[in-house]
Amino acid sequence: MIGYAARRLLLAVPTLFGIAVVVFVLLHLAPGTPGAGGADSARRMSGKAAAEMRRLYGLDRPLPEQFGLWIGRVARLDLGESFVDHRPVSERIREALPYTLALNGLALAFALALAIPIGVAAGARPEGAFDRASAAVLFALYSLPTFWAALLLQTLFAVQLRWLPLYGAVSDAAPTGWAGLADRLAHLALPVTCLTYGTLAFVARLVRSGVAEARTSDYVLAARARGASARRAIWGHAFPNALLPVITLTGLLLPALLSGSVIVERIFARPGLGRLYFDSILARDYPVVLALSLLSAVVTLAATLLADLALAAADPRVRDGAVGPE
Amino acid sequence: MRLFAARLPASARVAGAVVVLLWILAACSPLFAERARAIRLDERLQAPSWTHPFGTDDLGRDLLARVVAATPISLAIGLVAAGVSLGIGFAVGATAGYFGGAVDLMLSRLIEVMLCFPVLFLLLALAAFLPPSPATVIAAIGFTTWAGDARYARAEVLKIRELDYARAARAMGASTPRILARHLLPNALPPLIVSAAFGVGWAILAEAALSFLGVGLPAPAVSWGGILSSAPNWIVEAWWMALFPGLALFLTVAAYNLLAEGLRAVTVEGGRSA
Repeated sequence: MIGYAARRLLLAVPTLFGIAVVVFVLLHLAPGTPGAGGADSARRMSGKAAAEMRRLYGLDRPLPEQFGLWIGRVARLDLGESFVDHRPVSERIREALPYTLALNGLALAFALALAIPIGVAAGARPEGAFDRASAAVLFALYSLPTFWAALLLQTLFAVQLRWLPLYGAVSDAAPTGWAGLADRLAHLALPVTCLTYGTLAFVARLVRSGVAEARTSDYVLAARARGASARRAIWGHAFPNALLPVITLTGLLLPALLSGSVIVERIFARPGLGRLYFDSILARDYPVVLALSLLSAVVTLAATLLADLALAAADPRVRDGAVGPE
Repeated sequence: MRLFAARLPASARVAGAVVVLLWILAACSPLFAERARAIRLDERLQAPSWTHPFGTDDLGRDLLARVVAATPISLAIGLVAAGVSLGIGFAVGATAGYFGGAVDLMLSRLIEVMLCFPVLFLLLALAAFLPPSPATVIAAIGFTTWAGDARYARAEVLKIRELDYARAARAMGASTPRILARHLLPNALPPLIVSAAFGVGWAILAEAALSFLGVGLPAPAVSWGGILSSAPNWIVEAWWMALFPGLALFLTVAAYNLLAEGLRAVTVEGGRSA
């Protein structure tokens, strides 16, 4: 186990370096920087901002030196100041983070809580009535564009039925206490729904195929032969094995959720990280764009590492290198 | 080829027919171009009726004509962008899978790096930072979504290179390019076609998301995502502005995905006879 963990951690070092390089390339594609070129793109940036960029990122120095300068600051957790309001980038991220954590945390929790029973029930009887019906619904959800779903839900539940608020994170005259919490949850209902269904469809299909494959395996048949009930054979023997690929992919659900946050937070006007990223792109607020790209990728890498280690802890075959992620 | 189509599940055959119909519609779309552009402020925000089956938008343009006129752009960008993504993904994945060792270790890190970023973060940055054009949108989608294809191609080539015919070709002294082109590529093709079909649906969605967020195709080119981008402003007054362009998008993506699932059932799961 220790050997596997060490090897996996060692492999993460070049990946981390690669992430930094990608973000650095992003900076050099940005209008107003040497790599971007073109008279048109240069004009989009004021002289003052361009001078600030040169100072901040040392853009007049040779490339390796620029990269070293930038990495050095990032390593000291200095993400710089926003071009827009000149506050530290870390402060702006801290303000937006709770909105995105609430949205994505709830979405992930709902997706897993619904996907697992649906996937197991469908996989337990492949080609049964429930499997066919759920497959059709999950397929539709899988192909449904988030922003269209958001607009339809707004039309139905906010405009026509008037059950839920159209957008925002909280009402203008926000009540306090329990009523305030209820108000915030009412504002979360539609955004969480939009962010949940894609992950739900993805995970449920994964669990379903895992369970469907495992139910005819020797160990499930053996469990049945020993007198285990059908329910026990599926949940106690087939399901744990079907869960392994889900654990591996949990880390990679994170970037998908963040992508969804950009769209959902924009449509529902929630001041979270996705909204901050999109606004910063439009405002050419490069320090914020770079910091959010870097942080999201590093957090995903950490989550993937944890998922791989959890998988290795759960499955000896992964530790021994017989099967496993890559 | 006819036999191949007959082995597809019925759902996939219907989906394939829908895709063909969509491309025929795209070919006929210039007939609607004039009607799609006609601004009639006296007819703005009209609900669906016999004269305007999908209703009219905030400038009084006929929505049905606009949706039809946008078909070729959405379909073509999706197809080309998916092709770029698949091309990069296959090149990287097949190289990693075939050579193994240090090459595989390095390219696998590259794939891992790309998978760590939220796709929309990179897409938005590329689309907003590079000069707006169809080429930018295609490149942005192609360069940000290839990692999934690469992982798939790598696994496929890893599997094939140890099969008897690949070993035999090596034993007979065939050169590496020859083995790759004559033995590995044709045998990796069926799963690649499946990957491509899923990729087209994905790329159409990605383009729509970019255009919806306002960093997609520059005017006057309009895609379904571009039509939808003004719908949030009129969500209270005109539900049809959100419903119909989105429906076209959803049906197209669903048709490509359903076709892909059918192809997968025949080529990948149903043995390697295809």
